[in-house]
Amino acid sequence: MDIEVLKEWPTKWLRRAHVGKAALWGILAALGLAALYPVFFLISGSFMGKDELGEYLGAVISGSHGYAHFPLLPAYPTLRHYVEVFLDSPGFFVMFWNSVKITFGVLAGQLVVGTMAAWGFAKHEFPWKKGFFLLYLILMLLPFQVLMLSNYLVLDKLALTDNLWGIILPGIFSTFPVFIMYRFFRELPDSLLESARLDGAREWQLFFYIGLPIGSSGVIAAMALGFLEYWSLIEQPLTFLKERRLFPLSIFLPDITSVSQSGMAFAASAITFVPALLVFLGGQDYLEQGIMAGAVKE
Amino acid sequence: MHGSGKDYREKLKKAPSKDHGNGKRWRGALWILPSFLGVLVFYLLPYADVARRSFFGAVDNQFVGLANYQAILGNTAFRLAVKNTVKFTLICVPTLVLLALACAVVLYQSKYGGVIKSAFLMPMALPAVSVALVWRLLFHSQGLFNYWISHFGMEGRDWMNGQGAFWILVGSYIWKNLGYDIVLWMAGLSGISENIYEAAKVDGAGEWKCFLKITLPNLKPSLYTITVLSFLNSFKVFREAYLVAGDYPHEGIYMMQHLFNNWFRAFSFDKMAAAAVLESGVLLVLILLLQKAWDSGVE
Amino acid sequence: MKFRKLKRAAGIVLSMALVLGSLAGCSGGGAQESGDGGAGSPNQAGSGGGKQAMGRFLEEDVTLPIVLSTVYDMKKLEDGTIRILGDNGDNGARTIWDSKDSGVNWEKAFDVPAEIQDQGDGYVDHAALSSDGQSIWAYNKIEDDAITQILYLVSKDGEVSQVPFELPDAKGGSSKSFEDGEETGDGGAGMVKNMVLDLCFLDPGQVLLKDISDIIYQINVGDGSVAHTYDFSGAEDTHQIYMAGNKLVVATSTEVLVYDTETGEQQQTEEALQKSVSESGMLTAVDTVDAGESIYCLTGNGLYHYKFGGSVMEQLIDGTMNTLGAPAFYPIALTMLDEENYMVAATDLNSDALGGITLLRYTWSADTPAKPDKELKVYSLYNNRELRQSVSKFQKEHTDVYVNYQVAMSEENGMTVSDALKTLTTEIMAGKGPDLMLLDGMPIKTYMEKGILKDITSLFQEDSGSYFENIRKAYQDSEGKVYAAPARFFIPMAQGGGAYYTPEEDFASFTSKQGVLANMQPETVVEKFWYSCGASWQKEDNTLDAEKVTEFLSQLKNAYGEYNGSAIEDTTAVAISEGGAVNELQKVSLSWGDFDLAFGRVNVNVGLYGRMDYGMLDAVNKKLGQGDYGLMPGQAEGVFVPAMVIGVSSKSAQPETAEAFVKYLFSPQAQKVSQLGGFPVEKESFRSMVDGHEYDNRDSDMRLMAGGSAAGSDEMLSYEMVPTPEEDIQKITKMVESFSVPALQDDVIKESVVEQGAKVLKGELSPEEATDAIMQKVNIYLAE
Repeated sequence: MDIEVLKEWPTKWLRRAHVGKAALWGILAALGLAALYPVFFLISGSFMGKDELGEYLGAVISGSHGYAHFPLLPAYPTLRHYVEVFLDSPGFFVMFWNSVKITFGVLAGQLVVGTMAAWGFAKHEFPWKKGFFLLYLILMLLPFQVLMLSNYLVLDKLALTDNLWGIILPGIFSTFPVFIMYRFFRELPDSLLESARLDGAREWQLFFYIGLPIGSSGVIAAMALGFLEYWSLIEQPLTFLKERRLFPLSIFLPDITSVSQSGMAFAASAITFVPALLVFLGGQDYLEQGIMAGAVKE
Repeated sequence: MHGSGKDYREKLKKAPSKDHGNGKRWRGALWILPSFLGVLVFYLLPYADVARRSFFGAVDNQFVGLANYQAILGNTAFRLAVKNTVKFTLICVPTLVLLALACAVVLYQSKYGGVIKSAFLMPMALPAVSVALVWRLLFHSQGLFNYWISHFGMEGRDWMNGQGAFWILVGSYIWKNLGYDIVLWMAGLSGISENIYEAAKVDGAGEWKCFLKITLPNLKPSLYTITVLSFLNSFKVFREAYLVAGDYPHEGIYMMQHLFNNWFRAFSFDKMAAAAVLESGVLLVLILLLQKAWDSGVE
Repeated sequence: MKFRKLKRAAGIVLSMALVLGSLAGCSGGGAQESGDGGAGSPNQAGSGGGKQAMGRFLEEDVTLPIVLSTVYDMKKLEDGTIRILGDNGDNGARTIWDSKDSGVNWEKAFDVPAEIQDQGDGYVDHAALSSDGQSIWAYNKIEDDAITQILYLVSKDGEVSQVPFELPDAKGGSSKSFEDGEETGDGGAGMVKNMVLDLCFLDPGQVLLKDISDIIYQINVGDGSVAHTYDFSGAEDTHQIYMAGNKLVVATSTEVLVYDTETGEQQQTEEALQKSVSESGMLTAVDTVDAGESIYCLTGNGLYHYKFGGSVMEQLIDGTMNTLGAPAFYPIALTMLDEENYMVAATDLNSDALGGITLLRYTWSADTPAKPDKELKVYSLYNNRELRQSVSKFQKEHTDVYVNYQVAMSEENGMTVSDALKTLTTEIMAGKGPDLMLLDGMPIKTYMEKGILKDITSLFQEDSGSYFENIRKAYQDSEGKVYAAPARFFIPMAQGGGAYYTPEEDFASFTSKQGVLANMQPETVVEKFWYSCGASWQKEDNTLDAEKVTEFLSQLKNAYGEYNGSAIEDTTAVAISEGGAVNELQKVSLSWGDFDLAFGRVNVNVGLYGRMDYGMLDAVNKKLGQGDYGLMPGQAEGVFVPAMVIGVSSKSAQPETAEAFVKYLFSPQAQKVSQLGGFPVEKESFRSMVDGHEYDNRDSDMRLMAGGSAAGSDEMLSYEMVPTPEEDIQKITKMVESFSVPALQDDVIKESVVEQGAKVLKGELSPEEATDAIMQKVNIYLAE
């Protein structure tokens, strides 16, 4: 099945490897299917009519007898739930835009602040740099719940509660993208910067004309990861936002315990999923390139 | 070559000397200044506030010394949460990292690797609420999972309310992050020069030997990044656990964040703060250890 | 490889999105901030200016002697009468009520003629009033699996005639599919040729109706001829029609179009109207004066006045200060009574009323400051109708106070109680929390222990004789201090025939009768008995007594017998609970089981009782032969279910105002308000709620009550609306006086018990296993 791969290896390994490989591929395929199933499940469910969903999932949703079951494809595909989400729930668009505002607000900020910090850590020296970096790492790993109240108090002092900025600003200063981009910038050979300096380039020029272009894949990788993070943000909006008109999409989950709403839940999930998927598929290559930079250090 | 004054100044900056004061030495820090100010306001200040609270009463704000720390160390809910969190991390992170490595090595050799890898990546893009929706339908006592196993004559059960809950959580963590880690590992793999393999093959080294002697050592630097990121993502599984099982899930998946959440709701900020300080201490030690291991790995 | 290209493309899209998005994010966010800065809270705005502007519209609920389950239209007639078309919530009869005194007193004009009543062969979705009191009704008649539209004209005094108008088939394919179905003989129900989706009376003698393809027909009532049609069938947006004199106003979510109904021509766009749509959303109700020269209209932002040809919409009522701006508030009709009085009929999904139907009245109060300078924040998890009522009344008396009542949970947001409480916690800690809380569903004990609640003992020192002190002071601590007090309560009650239930029976003997609780929904059974039993489970050290829990579950299982899913689905209770928005306590109310008990689907009826309905109790007892009612058996004795538990935040910025409001809530005036939220703790009010005095002077005409929608049968239970006999008043008062223990108010424990208990009743778990599961969760909870 994979002759090309096997060809690269010495013939005496061929037969033994063949059996092992087949097994490995079998496992991989199974894992891949398992990974895809829930995605498929959601998409497929979003095209099912109310009655169909009720029939399949009735056991879970409305407590009728027997087990739920679920075919791979809808028997009578319909766009009804999408229509419902788009046309009948005006709140959906508001939430969608809130999500967009939060996500891109944060990413735009990180693009400025985060890249600079990463550049600073990677290519400049200053006292206690290691300590600062350690601090960033620990802050990155602290669960949100720990700082929840104190965070709120700070935001309250700044009059940022019940305001999208209350979500965006802390997001901008998240230390996670700094950590990711740092590794990309480290990759840049110092000699390159040296020679540029000798040619009279200023520090900001080095950053803009050498750092950013070369580290661009790293920046995009960090942005892609950031997108996923902020696109499905839950805790922060629930804690810091009270007004419903500010809620992002990620906390929109119609009550699935009623049959009438489960279809909408599926459709809303699918709609939320698509942008994230595009971003991830797009950012995937950069992610690889960038991480590689950090991995094969010097 | 051009002996202009400007160039001279630039050189001076590069090699800090004693007669230039602190200002110069700190110039590099200007780059992180904007970020640091934000971090200070939105993370460090709150953290300092948390640290302060850990020595005070919850609502009355009386100084209580170490009483909060004593209280949580004797608290059975805290112990359970710590136990579960540690257990979860110890099982999940290594499993994920190794499994991802195995997949990455296989996928890396295939021209279809990219496509399959993307399949593994999909789960990461699924929002937590959607994952929770699927999980609920799958692992309900009358859910799909039980429907499937009923074909094999097995009795269904309420997975989220039994010992199975922990493993479902482990599974969902791996399911969600496998693709991500595979990408990271594959990135590491692609950084290994083909020449080394060629040379080894000329020397008659087998596939397995190549893997052990060349691949693994060269991947060591990636390990640090991957471990830190996997560790970071292990916290995020709480979202799904919370959305599926609520505040009080089966005791097997009662994690630190559940406890924090519940304490928060019950105005137990004293205990929460103390636990948070302890947790950050543990994180510090962990990171230092990891860094040390990493530094020794890449000399 | 194609796949790679795809990814590249996605990458480009991503980076473009990043740039565009970041712009959008910034500008959007920026506007956000400035918006917040500008508006400010009413509180700040009021105190900022030196001199206060005076005058504001105040809101109050309008109550009819009957509960309306639907309102079709409401209008002020030429002679000044306010007329309303609706359905009587008690029996479903389509009915017309009048008020001669601007909505204070109401009397029935007539029930509409039989043709238009639901008779199994059709139903009504839309009806409209003319200013001379005629009404037009669009009756959807179901014939041969298809729906035909019939227009009925009802004169001012109730004479009916059919309008000879036949609605043309809808544009598009639906009529065709109908005919196909007919030919093959398998045309299912619901084949619709066309239907009326909106209806308006155009004085005189013409009506406007909109069909499913968004075509508007202007019809002469006399001969059914079509004067004009307005075709919007291509548009995606739905079109609402309103009348203003001889103008037709068509509103969509993006625009407002005006037509002259005499010529059928479109008129010039009204810029100000148009602008309001983009600023505050679609027009949701319109009323008109001056022969259509000016209109009053509702949007999500409040009530506006507009003069045609004018340049601005004038805001009369700010929606943020009343229900008009509430999220799930859908106006049906707006009626201008006079310059200073307006009435609104609406569906308010956040209300507990039948069908969510709400009638509100807005009255100008010249001596009320335009913006009150004190803001009292009141918070509850679930909407509380009694409180809402009291809020507007209290505001009327204290015009310097703006009571900002916030309800955390609603149909629309998927918020859980836990999320809501977390938000509450942050706000309280930041000093921005509510001043007053309704603690229903909250961890009252924790709040008391953590010092969140203020000591309000002093408010409860006086008048101890006129209150049920055993209930009012239920949360008194060992030092006699009161931090929380229930203003209302429910009685856990049971009703059944002699073979199954005798009053005063204890839990053990009641549950020893196998199958006595059969055919009920497992979850609700457990929850109901949780109220009467849970209070006995807590041990001295605050942990739960596992033995008692096991005993509870095994005895309950014995009483429940075998689980029978299909029998449960036939019960009325299930049918009601699937009907949508349901208040927490309603789910376990006694009245939902009336019909199931009377018609033998269940053996006993248990649940919480919060409003005396003697007629029904008696009718069921009679139907059963020798039925009786009494306290619900339980492991604990003397348990009642507290409701509307009130507490003042210890961090309240204005404790005096908060306490004044608490006092008001316990005053007879507020206690007498009854919206199904439980019995009042004030004795006078309790008696007046129980004694059925409102039926005193009524003729002894029997009223028929139909029920059993789930069974789909024509079950009828005739019952008399009579004052409650003194004997029964005494009986129920005795019950109340016997109470000593508030039911355990702990949602964490309750949820766990209900979840596991239901599994026991369904036979999925043994009582011991379930107890283990409950104890396991609860122990973590209690250890925290």
